Amino acid sequence: MKEKKIIYPPGDAGIWIIIYIELITFGLFFLGFVYSRRIDVELFNSSQLALNQTSGFINTILLLSSSYFVVRAVHSIKTYEIKKASKIATHWLNAAIGFGGIFLIIKMSEFIEKYSEGINLSTNKFFMFYFLLTVFHFLHVLLGMIILFNIKEKTKIQGYNKNDLKGMQTGASYWHMVDLLWIILFPLIYIIR
Amino acid sequence: MIIFDKYTKAYIVLILLTIFAYSLGKFELINGSLFIVLIITTFLKGSIIIDYFMELKDVNFKYRLIPLIWLFIVLCGIVIGYYF
Repeated sequence: MKEKKIIYPPGDAGIWIIIYIELITFGLFFLGFVYSRRIDVELFNSSQLALNQTSGFINTILLLSSSYFVVRAVHSIKTYEIKKASKIATHWLNAAIGFGGIFLIIKMSEFIEKYSEGINLSTNKFFMFYFLLTVFHFLHVLLGMIILFNIKEKTKIQGYNKNDLKGMQTGASYWHMVDLLWIILFPLIYIIR
Repeated sequence: MIIFDKYTKAYIVLILLTIFAYSLGKFELINGSLFIVLIITTFLKGSIIIDYFMELKDVNFKYRLIPLIWLFIVLCGIVIGYYF
């Protein structure tokens, strides 16, 4: 009898356990936000007006683009011979890190703006969730960038090839998870009223 | 003629859906039916990331199912929390 081949997710198995745990954690935060809003809809809607939807939108474009650049880097390693692949992938990873950096700068300026307006964690329940969710996500982006930087350094010295790219796929999967979380965060915090 | 691969097509769809979501918020167009459309497009965006960026489309189904179920539950929770 022919045995059915099991295809595992790309990257290290450990990263997928981390990803699933992170998704559950953030998922609970999202639902906490939604059900706290039910108690005081007016407060949540009026507080949301203080947020800048355009910066949320730009940040979404930046993260999606950064994720796409990482996909291109992985695809390059899979497609081309090692020297060419490493060169192309390094460029894509530089772009991904750059876009991630702009995301952090925009988010940081948003945090500073809110603090200078006297808005912080204890202002009200909406802003408690806003800061908890976005700062927690911010830290994930920061960690993701450190991972991408290390992957880029290894790529530069031709450390990955089409038969050995598990390390790169592991970091890429983490980066896409950060993107996936923002896909929910953006409409939840900035758009839906 | 420019030929886009599946990743680029996925990226373009993600950008277009993000512009759509932003427009709904910016022009305050969110009402009952457009809210549901926004939730559906968010599910679509999430599943594109899961399938094409995370490359789970061709892996064993259970590994793909976990993030898809997560996405579905979270978005259903948002719908229930906002409208019921």
